[in-house]
Amino acid sequence: MMRIVKKLIPIMLLAVMLLAGCTPKPEVPEPPVSKLRESGDVYGVYSGEITTINYLVTSTTAEFSVAANTVDCLVEYDNLGIVRPALATEWSVSDDGLVWTFKIREGVKWFNHKGEEYAEVTAQDWVDALKYTFNPDNASHTANISYSVIKNGEAYYTGEIDDFEQVGVKALDTYTLEYTLEHPVPYFLSMLTYCPFMPANGDFLAEVGDEFGTDHTNVLYNGAYIFSDWKHQDERVYVKNENYWDADNVHIEKIVSKYNKEASTLAPEMFLRGEITGAGIPTASLDEWMNDPERAKMVRPGSTSFYSYFYAFNFDPNFPDEYEPDNWKLAVNNRNFRKAIFHGLDRMAAVMTMDPYEPERMLNNTITPKNFVASGGKDYTLIGDLEKLTTTESFDKDLALEYRDKAKEELEGECTFPIKVMMPYSTSGTAWSNEAQIVEQQLEALLGEDFIDIIPVGFPPSGFLNATRRAGNYALQNCNWGPDYADPETYTEPFYPDGTYNWPEKATDPAYLLDDGRTVYEKMVDDACAEVVDIENRMELFAAAEAYVIEEAWVIPFRVGGGGYLATKLEPFASPYAPFGVADLQYKGQIVMEKPMSTEEYNAAREQWEKDRAAALAKEAAGN
Amino acid sequence: MSSRKEEQIVQAVEDQALFTFAHYDPEAAERIGYSDYSYWGSTTKIFLKNKTAIFLLVLMTSLITFTIIQPYLPNQKPPTKIHVDPVTGYQLRNQKPSKEYWFGTNVIGQDLWARIWSGTRTSLLIAIIVGVWEVLFGIFIGAVWGYVRQLDAFITEAYNVMNNIPNTILLMLLAYIMRPSFKTMVIAMCATGWLGMARFVRNQIVIIRDREYNLASRCLGTPTSRIITKNLLPYLVSVIVMRIALSIPGTIGWEVFLTYIGLGLPIDIPSLGNLLNEGRQVMMAPSLRYQLIFPAIVLSIITISFYVLGNAFADASDPRNHY
Amino acid sequence: MLKYSFKRLSQSLVTVFIVVTLVFLLMRLLPVEGYFGDGYDKLTPEQREAILRKFGLLDPWYIQLKNFYASLFKGDLGRSIIYRPDVPVLNIIKLKIPYSFAFGIVAIVLSLTAGLAMGIHMAREKGRIWDRIWSSYIVFINAVPSAVYLLFIQLYITNIKLFRLPMLFDRHNTISWILPAISMSLGGTAGYAMWMRRYMVDQLNQDYIRLARAKGMSDRQIMVKHVLRNAFVPMAQYLPASVLFTISGSIYIESLYSIPGMGGLLVDVIQRQDNPLVQTLVLIYSVLGIFGLFLGDILMAVFDPRIRLEKAGGAR
Repeated sequence: MMRIVKKLIPIMLLAVMLLAGCTPKPEVPEPPVSKLRESGDVYGVYSGEITTINYLVTSTTAEFSVAANTVDCLVEYDNLGIVRPALATEWSVSDDGLVWTFKIREGVKWFNHKGEEYAEVTAQDWVDALKYTFNPDNASHTANISYSVIKNGEAYYTGEIDDFEQVGVKALDTYTLEYTLEHPVPYFLSMLTYCPFMPANGDFLAEVGDEFGTDHTNVLYNGAYIFSDWKHQDERVYVKNENYWDADNVHIEKIVSKYNKEASTLAPEMFLRGEITGAGIPTASLDEWMNDPERAKMVRPGSTSFYSYFYAFNFDPNFPDEYEPDNWKLAVNNRNFRKAIFHGLDRMAAVMTMDPYEPERMLNNTITPKNFVASGGKDYTLIGDLEKLTTTESFDKDLALEYRDKAKEELEGECTFPIKVMMPYSTSGTAWSNEAQIVEQQLEALLGEDFIDIIPVGFPPSGFLNATRRAGNYALQNCNWGPDYADPETYTEPFYPDGTYNWPEKATDPAYLLDDGRTVYEKMVDDACAEVVDIENRMELFAAAEAYVIEEAWVIPFRVGGGGYLATKLEPFASPYAPFGVADLQYKGQIVMEKPMSTEEYNAAREQWEKDRAAALAKEAAGN
Repeated sequence: MSSRKEEQIVQAVEDQALFTFAHYDPEAAERIGYSDYSYWGSTTKIFLKNKTAIFLLVLMTSLITFTIIQPYLPNQKPPTKIHVDPVTGYQLRNQKPSKEYWFGTNVIGQDLWARIWSGTRTSLLIAIIVGVWEVLFGIFIGAVWGYVRQLDAFITEAYNVMNNIPNTILLMLLAYIMRPSFKTMVIAMCATGWLGMARFVRNQIVIIRDREYNLASRCLGTPTSRIITKNLLPYLVSVIVMRIALSIPGTIGWEVFLTYIGLGLPIDIPSLGNLLNEGRQVMMAPSLRYQLIFPAIVLSIITISFYVLGNAFADASDPRNHY
Repeated sequence: MLKYSFKRLSQSLVTVFIVVTLVFLLMRLLPVEGYFGDGYDKLTPEQREAILRKFGLLDPWYIQLKNFYASLFKGDLGRSIIYRPDVPVLNIIKLKIPYSFAFGIVAIVLSLTAGLAMGIHMAREKGRIWDRIWSSYIVFINAVPSAVYLLFIQLYITNIKLFRLPMLFDRHNTISWILPAISMSLGGTAGYAMWMRRYMVDQLNQDYIRLARAKGMSDRQIMVKHVLRNAFVPMAQYLPASVLFTISGSIYIESLYSIPGMGGLLVDVIQRQDNPLVQTLVLIYSVLGIFGLFLGDILMAVFDPRIRLEKAGGAR
C-alpha cells in the first residue's frame, strides 16, 4: 500500500502543479487557486552578492533575479514556455513586421519598497526606460541588445542624432505603446522579457538620478514581489505585492535570504537542520548524500542552463614560438586532423568530474542546446542535419584513429610530430584545471603521444579571456557562449567574421571560400538571417549553418552550463520557463513543498513536463 | 711569590743536574686561561638534551629525505597521472585508501600518496627559498635600519610604502605579467616576505642598541658592522631562530591563501596549498575527508616540528641558559 | 619627544602620498578587461567606451591622478564603480567598519587577557605539566590550518543543543556574537601566550631578577614590577597597530558567520578592480599602518625609558 502511495506522490504533485500552473482561471468560483496552493516562506543563503539592482544597466543573472521578481514586462512566459500577456493585454504587429503596438494593462501601480503607491504604470514608462539605457552616460551593459533592433537606437546611442523623438519608441496615449524596428525581428516578443525592455518611471528616474538602483529604496516595483529590504552582504527580503495584478498566482508570501560567503559549504548542513528551504549539493559531497538512504530521497538534479561550452580550434594562432604556431597552423587547416580530435575527445570522461551520476544530461552535441527554440513542433536540435549530430555521440575511438592515420599521412613531411596543442585554462578554480588534465591525458593516450602533445597552460583569472581566446593565444580551448535572444542566430555570433572566438574565416581550405569574398559559412548565416517571414525555413537554414560548423569540426560541442544537484523544497516546473530572459528566475507560481523531491520523482515530473511542453508547443504552432 | 721564584732559581743554579729550564710555551699558557666554553658547542649540547627536539629533528630529517627520494622508490605513481578503470574507461575518482592507492585518489583519480609527497617537495622548496631570503635580507635590512640612525628615516619611509601597498595588487600584477608558476610564486613571496623580519629585527635592535655595553663599544671605536654582528645579532639569535621556525609554516599558509584567491600555483604542480584547498572542498563529506586529513597531517607535522625545534633551539641558543 | 612626533607625522604624510599614488598607478596597469565583468564579449565597442568613460578611465593617467587628488582635497573619495556601482565609497565603508571594529576589539581583549595569562602561567610553570598543556594548545592552533578548525568549531559547537548557538551571525541576536568573537581570539591568544612565555623566560634569566630575589622581593612583586613590564616592551610595539587594524576585519571568520564587516573587502575590490574603493581603503589602511607604527614606537619608549627615539645622544 505504502509503495503505491509513494509512487503516486509525483503524479499527485504534478497534478497539483498543472492545476495551478497552466489552467486558466476558472470562471465559476471554485476554491480560489491561492487556497489550493498554500505555501510557506522561502529561506535561503547565497554567496554571490549583487552589486546593483539597476536593471537597466546590469547584465548579470544574479542581478536580473531581483528585477525578474519585482518588475513585470510587457509579456511573460508560463511554466511551459508559452508567451502570455503580462503588462500588455494585447498586441499587434504591422505586415512588414516593423511596427509593434501594445495595449498596456490599466490600473497597475508602481510601489516603493514600503509598498506605498507611487504612480500608475503607463506606456510612457517604457519610453523613459529606453531613453535611460540609450544614454551612454548611464553605461548600460545591455543597451546594445535594444539599440540594435529599435529604429535609430544605435544612431542615438553613438550621438549621430540627438533627438529622441526619432527613436522608434512612442507612447501613443497613456495605455498604448508603439515600437518601430530597424529591420524585422521575428523573435522580438522574446526580447521584451529581457531587462533593457523593462519599464521605469521617468519622474522617479529624474528624482533619484545617479542613485537609481543603488539600493532597495531607490527603485520602484510593479511585479509579484516588493524588494522590501536589502542589506549588502547581509540579507535580502522580498514580500508579496498584495496589489499585484496577478496576485492569485503568487503563492510564496515572503522570501528571506541571508548572505554567506561560504554558503556552498554550509548550505547542505543548514538544509538538514531545517534552517533553509533549499541548498545546492556540491559534487564532492554528492556520493555522501546518494549513499545515505534518508538523504538520497532529498536530492534531485538541478536544471541545466543555455550556456553552451565547446572546444574551439584556433585558425589564427598567435601564441609564443615555444608552442610552434606555424606547425599548428598547418595542422589545424587539415580537416582530418581536426576530425581526429573531434572524434577522439571523450567528453563523458571530462564531464564526469562535474556530474558523476547523470553525466549524459550535461553533454551537448550541438552549439545551440536542446529546448532552446522549436519550430513546426520540433526541437531545433532535431531539424535537418542537426538531427544526426544530436543523436550520435561524437566520441568514437575507431573513427578517431582512422582520421588520425589519414591526417598523419597528409601532414607527414609538412608538420613536425608530435603536434603541440597549447590549451589554456583559468586557475580560478579546480574544476577547469581538473578538466584540462583529464582531456590532456585522455587524448594523448588515445591518439598517441607521438601524434599530439597537449600542453595545458594556466592563466590567472584577471584578464583571462583577453590574454587567451581574444588574443588568439591558444590552439584548442574550452570556450562558451550564452544566448541573447530566443533565436538560433544568437549562437552564430562567435563564428561569424569579426568574432573573437576562433576565426574560421582565416581557414586556408579553398572549399570554405566563395567567389564574392565571403566564406561559405558567412553566406549560410546571411541567408538565414534574411529569412524573416517563413520561420520554419529560417530555422532550417540556421540548422544547416550550425551543422556545417560541427561537421567541419571547427569546434567540438561539449556541454551545457548549470546542472549540479539540489536538495530543495521549492517546486520545479511551476515557475515561468524560457530559455532566454529572466523568466526562470521568478518565484511566481511556485510553492514550498512538504518535502524535497527525489531524483526519480524529479525525472518523472520532468518527463511529464516535457510532454506537456511538446503538446503546448504543437498547439501554439497550430494556432499560428 | 717572587721570593719563591728567586729561591727556585737559586736552587736551580745550585742543582743544575736535577732541574732544567722550562721553555715558555704560549700555547700552554693559553690552555690555562682557557675555559672550554664555546657558544655553538653549548648550544648544541643543550639542544641535544631535549629528547622531543631530537625526535622531531630525526622525524623532520627523514621526512625531508623521504620527499626527495620518494619518486625514485619502486612502485611509485606519477603525481599528475589520472588513473582510469581499465574496464569502464572511467576515472578511478575518490578511491578510499587501499593497497593500490595508499592514500586513496582525489576527485579526478590521481594518486594522493604521490601528490602529497610531490606537494610537500614543492612547498618545502618554496618555503626554504623564501625563508632563507627572508632571513638574509630581512636581518640585513633590519639590522641597518635599527642601528644606523641616519638611515632610520629613509628605511622607515621605504618600509611604510612597501608595507602599505596591498600584496594582492602586486601578486595580481605579477601573475598577470608572468602567469602563475613556481617562479612567480617565489618572486612574489620574496618581494614582500622580508618586511616582517626586517621590522622585527629592527625593533629588537632599537631595544638593545643603547645598552651600556654598546655604548662602551662605541666609545672604544668599534666599527658599526662589528657592533651589529658581534654585539647585537648574537643576542638576537634565539628570537630570530624562533621567527624562522615560524616563517616556514607561515610561507606554506600564505601559499594556501594565494591558491584560494586563484593566484597560487597551477594545479598540475601539486603543492600543500593546492592539496589543502582541494581537500577543503570535500570537507563536508565525511567519507572523503581523508583527502583533507592526509595533507593536513603532513602540514601539521612540518609545522609542529619547526615550531618545537625552533623553540628548543631558541632555548638552547640563549647564552643565559648555558652553564 | 614632541618635536620627534611632529617630524615623524609630517614625514608620514609624504609616505601616504607615495603609497596612494603608487597604488593608483598599479591599478591602472591591470588589464582593462577587468572593468567589464563577464559580459565583455556581449558589449559593442561603443558600449565599452561609454563604460570606460563613465569610470573616468579614458583620460591619460596623469589627468586621472590629478582629478583624483583634486576631489580628494575636497573630501570626496568618489563612488564605487563595480563593487556597488554609484554608491559613495564612504557609505559602503561606514556600514562595515563598526562590525569589524566591535568584533576585533572584543577579540583583542579576549586574546590579550587569555594569552598573557596563559603565557605568564607557562613561564612560571616552565617545564611542568601546565606548560605542556598550554604548549600543545599553541602548537595545535599554529599547526592546523585555521580554515579547517574554524569550520569544525562552527559546525560542531552550533550543533550542541545545550548552547543553542545559531550558525550564522544575526545582528539582533546577541548570543550569535559569542562564537565568532571567541573563534577570532583563538589565534591571537596562542600568539600572545607564545611570545609572552618566550620573553618572560628571557627576562627571568636576567641578572637583575636574581638581584631582586636576593633583595627579598616576593615572586609576585618581581613578576609585576620587573618581568611583566620588561616582557611587555616588545609587544607594545605591535599593540597599537593591531588595535587600529581591527577595522580591517577577519576574512575567514566574517565569511563563515556572515558578518557584514570589512574582512576581505580589500582583496575583493582589488580583484574586481573597483579603483575608487581600492584607493580609499589603501589610503585608510596606510594611514592606520603608519600611525600604528608610530604609536608603537612611542608606547615602547614609554614602557622602556632606556629606548630613545630621538637622534640625541651618541648613537650613529
